[in-house]
Parts: sequence; C-alpha cells; structure tokens
Amino acid sequence: MLRLALSNLRANWTRFLATAAAVVVGVAFLAAGLMLTDAVRVSLLGSVEQQYAGVDLAVTTAGEFANLGDAGESVSPLGADSLALVRAVPGVVAAAPVTTAEVRVLKPDGEAVSLRTQGRPWIVDDELNPLTLDSGRAPTAGGEVVVDRATADRAGLRTGSTVVLETPLGERTAKVVGISSFGRSAAVDPGGTVSFFENEAALVLGGGRVSWSQILVRTAGGGAPVTQSLQQVLPPLAQVVTAEDVVEREQRVLNTFVDVLRPVLTGFAFLSLFVCAFVIFNTFSVVVTQRFRELALVRAVGGTPAQVRRSLMVEGVLVGLVASAVGLVAGAALSVGLQALLSRFDVPLPGAGVKVTTGTVVMGLVVGTLVTVASVAVPAFRAGRTKPVEAMRSSAFDRSGTSKVRLVLGGAALAAAVGVLLGAKAGALPKALLGGGTLFMFTALVVGGPLLARVFSKLLSFPMRAFGLTGRLAADNCARNPKRTATTANALVIGLFLVTLVTVSGTAVKSWAVSRLNTLSGSDYIVSSRSGIPDDVVAKIGTTKGVEGSAGVRSVVLRPDGGSPFIVSTTDFEQLARTSGVKVATGSLDTVANGDGVAIIDQQELLKNLLGDATGQDLAGTGDPSADPGATIDLGGTTTKVGDQVEVPALDGSPVVLTVAATLKAKLDALTLGNLVGPSTFARVAGEQPVRFVFVRTDPSQTEQVGLRLEQLTRSYTTIDVQPGNFVGQFVGQALDFLINAVNALLAMSLLVALIGIVNTMTLSIIERRQELGMVRALGMTRGQVGTMVALESVLLGTLGTLVGVGTGLFLGWVLVGSLGQGISLNVDWGRIGLIALAGVAVGALASLLPTRRATRVRVLEAMQPT
Amino acid sequence: MTTTEAAQVEWAAQVHDATKRYGKGDSTVMALNGVTVGFQKGRFTAIMGPSGSGKSTLMQCAAGLDQLTSGRAFIGSAELGRLSEKQLTLLRREKVGFVFQQFNLLPTLTAGENIAFPLRLAKRRPDKAWMDQVVQTVGLADRLDHKPSELSGGQQQRVAVARALVERPEIIFADEPTGNLDTHSSGEILSFMQTAVRDLGQTVVMVTHDPGAASYADRVLFLTDGRLTGEVMAPTVDSVLAAMRQTVA
Ligand SMILES: Nc1ncnc2c1ncn2[C@@H]1O[C@H](COP(=O)(O)OP(=O)(O)O)[C@@H](O)[C@H]1O
Ligand SMILES: [Mg+2]
Repeated sequence: MLRLALSNLRANWTRFLATAAAVVVGVAFLAAGLMLTDAVRVSLLGSVEQQYAGVDLAVTTAGEFANLGDAGESVSPLGADSLALVRAVPGVVAAAPVTTAEVRVLKPDGEAVSLRTQGRPWIVDDELNPLTLDSGRAPTAGGEVVVDRATADRAGLRTGSTVVLETPLGERTAKVVGISSFGRSAAVDPGGTVSFFENEAALVLGGGRVSWSQILVRTAGGGAPVTQSLQQVLPPLAQVVTAEDVVEREQRVLNTFVDVLRPVLTGFAFLSLFVCAFVIFNTFSVVVTQRFRELALVRAVGGTPAQVRRSLMVEGVLVGLVASAVGLVAGAALSVGLQALLSRFDVPLPGAGVKVTTGTVVMGLVVGTLVTVASVAVPAFRAGRTKPVEAMRSSAFDRSGTSKVRLVLGGAALAAAVGVLLGAKAGALPKALLGGGTLFMFTALVVGGPLLARVFSKLLSFPMRAFGLTGRLAADNCARNPKRTATTANALVIGLFLVTLVTVSGTAVKSWAVSRLNTLSGSDYIVSSRSGIPDDVVAKIGTTKGVEGSAGVRSVVLRPDGGSPFIVSTTDFEQLARTSGVKVATGSLDTVANGDGVAIIDQQELLKNLLGDATGQDLAGTGDPSADPGATIDLGGTTTKVGDQVEVPALDGSPVVLTVAATLKAKLDALTLGNLVGPSTFARVAGEQPVRFVFVRTDPSQTEQVGLRLEQLTRSYTTIDVQPGNFVGQFVGQALDFLINAVNALLAMSLLVALIGIVNTMTLSIIERRQELGMVRALGMTRGQVGTMVALESVLLGTLGTLVGVGTGLFLGWVLVGSLGQGISLNVDWGRIGLIALAGVAVGALASLLPTRRATRVRVLEAMQPT
Repeated sequence: MTTTEAAQVEWAAQVHDATKRYGKGDSTVMALNGVTVGFQKGRFTAIMGPSGSGKSTLMQCAAGLDQLTSGRAFIGSAELGRLSEKQLTLLRREKVGFVFQQFNLLPTLTAGENIAFPLRLAKRRPDKAWMDQVVQTVGLADRLDHKPSELSGGQQQRVAVARALVERPEIIFADEPTGNLDTHSSGEILSFMQTAVRDLGQTVVMVTHDPGAASYADRVLFLTDGRLTGEVMAPTVDSVLAAMRQTVA
C-alpha cells in the first residue's frame, strides 16, 4: 500500500499541495511561537549571566531587586554616600553603581532613535563592566557619553560627534567619546544604551538626586567576610547578595515573563491548527471525492476496503510529515520576520535569530502529522466504503449532509444550546452551563452546517440575482455540495466568531471599567515622574498660564521587608484641597498638616466604588441579589478607624508610629497619595524626596491649552508624564483596547488558514468542473463572466462564514456580557462589527483570486475531451 | 470546393486551405492537412472518417473553438483568425450552436433554463413562439422543470439540441452527439436535427463515425489523415458504407 500511496502522491501532487498548505501554515505558526519564545528566553537568560559575569557581590534594596521590572516610585536606600561606604570596605577591590533611566538620543532631525533607550553609568572596572568599547574611550567627565553601536548607527554618531539627549533632568548636549557593544549584541537594553560618567549619571538619571538601584562589587577573595562588613556599614534596608543569587532571581523573573508569553502564543497557534484541521479535512475530502472512480477501480480489481483506507492514511501521514517539516522551516522564517517587524515598530525583542530546539521540531512534526492524520481519517474511512460500481458513476451533486436525520439533530442541538445559554443568562440555570452551552452550540453548528449552507445559498441567491445569470450560477454552485461548503465556511466561522466575541465582550468590559474609574478622578492634570520632578520644573508648572492651582506631592514607596508596598506622601495641604479630588471622609486634616497624624484611604468605600453596582452581585461572590447594595462588605481584614495607631517603616529601617487623624474618600487622587502625612513627619520617615506628582487645577476655559503647555514644558524630561485627571480610566481603556486588538491580531492567523481553505475548495472544485466550464465558454460565456461567477461563489462562501461567525459571536457576547451582572451593558460598536464582517467577506474575495485565474484559463476545448 | 451552384450559394461556414499541426519536432501530428470546405446554409452535413482522421479538429477550427495553424476559416462573412478572443466568444454566443457528446448541460439549471442559457448570457429575451415550437419539436414540453440529473441520456441530448436551436444560430456544430446513446435515442436526436434543417431552415454540421447517423444528412464528407478524401450527396447507409470502403482502400 505504501507503493500505491507514493505513486498517488506523485500523480496528484498539486492536489496534495493544497492539503499541505494548511498544515504548513498551522505548523509554521506553532513553530514560530515556540522558536520566538525560546530565542527570547535564551537571550534574556544569557544576557543576565553575561551582565554579572565579573561580579562577586551585589548590594541591592531589601525585599526586592530594584533594577528589575517596574520599580515604581520605590526609593532605593542606596544614596550618594553609599558608594563611598562600599568602596571603603576592606576586601572590596572595585565597586560600580547601577541605575537606569530613560534617555532619548535625538537624531539630527530631532526625532528620538528609540523610546526605550536606557541611560546607565559607565562602569570603570573592566571586569565588572559587561560592556566593551568598540572604539574610543570611556567617559571621564560630565558631558561625555558612550553610545552602543546600534544606536550610534541609527543616529549617525561617531566618536567625537556631539549628541542631544533628553534625560530625566531635561535636554542635554553631550560629546560621544566611545562606541560600545554587549557581547555579540549591540546593547544590554533592547532599545539601546547611553553610558554616562559615574558622577553625572548619578544626578542626570536620578532626576537631580542620587539614587542607585544596585552596587556591583568585585572582591579580592570573595565570600562571607566582605558581605558581613558591607552589611554593617550600609543602612538596614540595603541587602548584600552573591552574584549567583542575583542572576538566579533575575532569571526567575524573566522566566515568568517567557512563561506567560509562551502559552499565549502557542495557544493561538493551536487554535489555528484546529482551524487547519477543518481545512485539511475538507481538502482531503474533495481530493478523495475526485478520485472516487480511481478508488472504485482499485476496489473493482480486488482491493479490500481496508487496503484503500490504509493507502489513504499512509498518504495522510506522508503529506503531514512533509508539510510539517516545511512548516518548521516556514516558522523559522516567520519568527525572524516577526522580530524584524517588531523592531521596526520600536518593540525590539531581546535576542535575535532563530532558536531551534529538539522540542520544537518534535512538537511541530508530531502535532502537524497528528492533525493531518486525524483530519484524513474520516474521508479515508468513507473512501474505504466506495463500491466498485461507482467507478462508472459521475457525480455532479453531493446532497449528503442534508438528510432529515441531520436536519432534526442539528436543529434540536441548536435549539437546546440556545435554550441553555439563554437560561444561564437569565439566571434560571447555573452559570457553569455557559461553557457547556457554547460547546454545544458549536457542535450544533458543525452538524447543522450543511443545512445552514443550503438555506443560506438559497436565501442569498435572491440578492445574487442582481448580478444576473453569473450571480445565480454562483449561488447554485454554493448549494451544490452543502457539506463541502459548510466545512469550508466553518474554518472562517471559528475565527470570526472569536474575533466578534472578544471585541463585543471586551468592549463592554472596557466601557464599564472606564466609566467606573472616571467617577473617581479629581484634578484636571497630573504631572508625574518616577524619578522625581526637578524643583524648578515644579515651580514652572505653578506659574504656567491657565493654571489656577498646583500641589506638588513628595512621596516614597516603602517596602517593609517582604511586605506589600506602602506609599507615604506629603504636600501643601491648602493647594491639595484646591487642585485634587481628595476629600476627607472622617476626621480632620489639621493634625495631619501640622502634627504627626496620618490620613488614610477609606477602604470600605474604595471597594464599594470600584465594584459599584456589581457588588452584592456575583463579583463579590455573595450571589444574593436581595442583599442591600449599601451593606458593609466584609473585606476579610480589619478596618482602620480614626484614632488607631499605624506603624510605618522608615527609610532607615526604624519603625515610626503614627495616629490615624482622618480617612480620605476613595478618589483616585487619594489612591495616588497613599498615606498622607505632614512635612515634618515625612522628613522623619522618608528623608529628603523629590516631588513625584503635581496635581494641577486649570482655568476651566483653558483646560486643553494648559495640557499642551505642560507637555511643552516637560518635553525634554524623559521621565515626566503629563496626564489628564482621568488618565487611569484612559489608561485602562487603552490597555484593554490594546489587549482586544492584540488578541484579534493573533486570531487573524486563523482567518489566514480559512483563506487557504477557501482557495483550496474553490480550486479543487474548478478542477472538478473544468468540462462544464469549457462548455459554458463554448456556448459564449466570456472569460470575464466566468471570472465573475467564480469570484461571486467565493465571496458567497465568505459571506456565509461571516454571517454565521459574526452572528454567533454577537449572540454569545450578548449572553456572556449579560450574565456578568447588571452593571455591564452591551453597547455594540456596529462600526467595528461592520469592519469584522467586511474582513470576512474580504477573505472570500481574496480567496477567489487564484481559483478565478484558474477558471478563466480553462480551455474551451476541455468540454470536448472525455475524461 | 465541390459545388454545382456556385453563383447563388450562401455559406454558413467555410475553411480554406486549412492545416492544423499539433506538437513539435518528432511528435508532430498534422491533424488537418490542406482542407478546403464550405458548409452551405440550410443543409445538414455529416463529417466521417476513421478515428484520429481530424474530424473533431476540423469542426473545432471551423466553429472558432480552436485556431488553425495556417489557412482561413469563416463563419458567415467573419474571418475567425481576425477576431479577438472576446469577439470570438461573442460570435459563438450569437451565431453558433453546439451539441457535445457529453457534459452538455449545467447541472444546477433546469432543462428549460439550460435551453435559454445562451440567450440569457447575451441578455436576449427568448422568442416565446419559437421557443415553444422548438420545445414541441424535441418533445420536452413536460420536462422543462426537471434538472439534468432527472433526465435520461437521450433526453439530456434533446435539451442540448433544443438549446442549440433556440438561439437560431447561423450554424450548429455537433461532435458525435449520439456517441453515448442507444439506437432508439440516437434515431430521435437525428430526426430532430433533420427536421430542424428541413422544416426550420437551420444549418447543421455533425461529426460521426456511424454510417447510420450519417445517412440522416444531406451530404457526407470523408476525412482521412487530415485530408478530404470523398463526398456523398443524399447519402443512404449503403452508399456511405460503399464510400467508406473506397476511401479506406
Ligand atoms: N490537443 C491535441 N494535442 C495533440 N494532438 C492532438 C490533439 N487533439 C487531437 N490531436 C491529434 O490530432 C489527430 C486528429 O484528432 P481528432 O481531430 O480528435 O480526430 P477524430 O475526431 O477524427 O478522431 C489525432 O492524431 C490526434 O491524436
Ligand atoms: Mg473526435
């Protein structure tokens, strides 16, 4: 049978190409996802090791490695004097400070090379420094910088060039004295690195205040004694760890990042493979149908059903293996292409090139082949039942799939599914049934698909008549083989269904969340910076035209060892009242402003505000709709009241006890403030800190202009953000929008597979109908008319898939959103749904290009050539 | 050209010094080798010859389905070699009817729709009276709403003949129209074509290798190895057989 299978493959290779295309695409997506995450992981982990190669010990902040991820406004206890302290410890051979901050390298045209370039202090000690100089020398004075070679290339810089930089301390001009690289790559930071002279870095990167995130140490003999002496001279919140610990902990964090990325990417790849299964199944079914006579001949000359079946399965395995292998190669190319694409959009992924692991290869081959074999099994089984007499039959129609049994089964399943879903939405049935109902609905769509296909083609044949005879024939052709039409359309249905569902329910959740959050905002603008806003900028904000009031807030995030972050802040209390939405709920701010009182957020109200109408409903988990919405919710913790004592860990590690003097209403501004204290208390707890927020109240008639003025004022300070008061709502809205779009972009893969499916089905049925096409050409149908007919048929297929997919998506979106709670309402953005539908129809139109070409090339004489 | 009434003869289609070569080099086949022939209006002409003698090629080139290697072909006064692909298509639609051996009908259309198909392609209204007459003649009045799959082979060929007739073409070409039919159905189809020529004034050219079928024609042409090798006027089965024996010899 292997021989028969091989000779079949050779004889019909164009048809198998169609099957293989789907497998290739599916495996390519899977492989690209795996290779990409592997490449990222390997390069991230490798770069961490490289970064700490010459380091023996690292001084960091306790509880957290401050240079990792988003350190927020957390303040490192490693201030100006810490470096000198470390260097003075016996046994320390060299010590180098580390801190990073955004720095923008401006090209001559004033545009930034990247928004992700990081500034770092240049490390003088060669062994501690992971960077190497390609040319030039190290910076030895302020105003001198070393730039990584990629950034230098992109900005056209050489040693000796002058460069304009935007820094946390505003715009600065510097001289490039050297070009650096990091191992085999250009820079440690994906967006590029600018290295400053140590003293200058301290000020510029900290926005005017010295604060190191880490101090790297090289010791003479390494080891414990140095660790101990270091720990003794440093503040208690500073922690001394070995380089191995740092590497291990950083790698663990990076691994978590990759571990999140990987299942997401592979999840979508598996989805597209699932869609592939439909396409493969369909393509193979068509191929088998076309070879019915040949198979019947095999049966007629004595082949057993099992032999026919086995021969087809062997074909499936061979096609699956070869196509999966091709898919792996395509996946490698895809992952390189994706990296290139992402870095063009200034989102460079760490690590370049292809990382091929045995796991990926095995996974791709096994999954691709399995999917192929599974999809081939049904057509192969059916082919085994071919009767020898069928060698003599010609098949123009295949009405199978529209039987009464199917009608009843499909209809009943669909009705039951809709019933269950509606019941669950209304609350009559448990919500757990939503998942089951959805699956059920899908099964119903697959079983009842051929029927839907027939009904739709019939219905659509009326509007199609507008296209005259060709439109009519196109609609007829769709109804000709309903099962094939349905399976082809189903590939599209799955993709469009998910896109619609994600869009509809995502948008509903988004607008609910945004409107909730917007009720919490107070001030007109909030100017903020993680590293602090220079005092002169704070002063300029206050005097900006149109600003009626501004309150600069000094704050610090304290992290009691291992505990959750704890924000302490202080400000001008009079200005605060005028510029922000901060309102006192209980108590008074008097003792806060002038004494040692602290104002905290009313947590009860906070939760009530955030959860809004949904509280008392299912989000709070009580499930009791009769509960009074105003009733107190037990948060599980203790509630702090006015008069209570709270203990605050000071920056030097000693605990400071404060008395709660007021609780604040849970507005967003209050959340930003955290625990509000008076200036003297603040100095005791946090020492000297920069202003990190400025609440701004504007002349109502100039709000927009003030925004532009503030932008202008802070333009050259890379870390300063100007955000409208409702920025959290905006941010959450944008974040959710991004999420919806990202998910949809990934789902678009499945649309691509569906496209291949339509191309396949159409092309194969053109081959099947070439005599018919030759005949109509002989009778006087022009090439153009034949082309229109085929294109319309393909568009119809697309429309069918679109109607069912988008329709189901809308329905399920409505059910799911409705079952979330009364607070969330479904406001469908019909413009977007229209776009999605258009995309579906476009898939059909796009898919018609190839088959149409093929159809218009059918020679007239084919009509006369008997098969 | 073999004709006695040269002066007032009207030609529905003609080929002059036609050659058709397939393939290149060693495998070259001269399917037509200097054929000159005219098909007179209002006549039923049969083309006979052994398999591979070039019958289908002659018909296809004369009907504008294929191009000659050299020589000229006309339908009415239009020289086919001078027409573009699109003009040829429109010419076939307007002036030529076809009946093939198989794959004649669109399976999704009913018999009636198949008959009206070329007219609808041309966006012409069928002439109701003429349509009725044609449908009566081929005896399909009660079958018009059936799909081809619900018709017998003979009935399907009758639909094809009706379709060719209904557009009132200059000429109808039929390549072995009875090749797949039993004797009874063949007889029916052939008589319809005969009626169409004698009573309705149509012009038919039919390729066949069956002397019985050829005997329905007004004139039989013989083709051997791409050349015209004989002609029988007002043929009978016997005269055709006799002529065949002669040309083979
Ligand atoms: N498309 C083609 N390519 C190559 N040779 C062809 C082609 N069509 C016909 N022939 C050759 O031309 C000759 C005449 O063919 P045809 O006109 O079909 O003969 P007939 O219809 O009389 O049986 C034959 O030798 C045949 O093999
Ligand atoms: Mg022939």
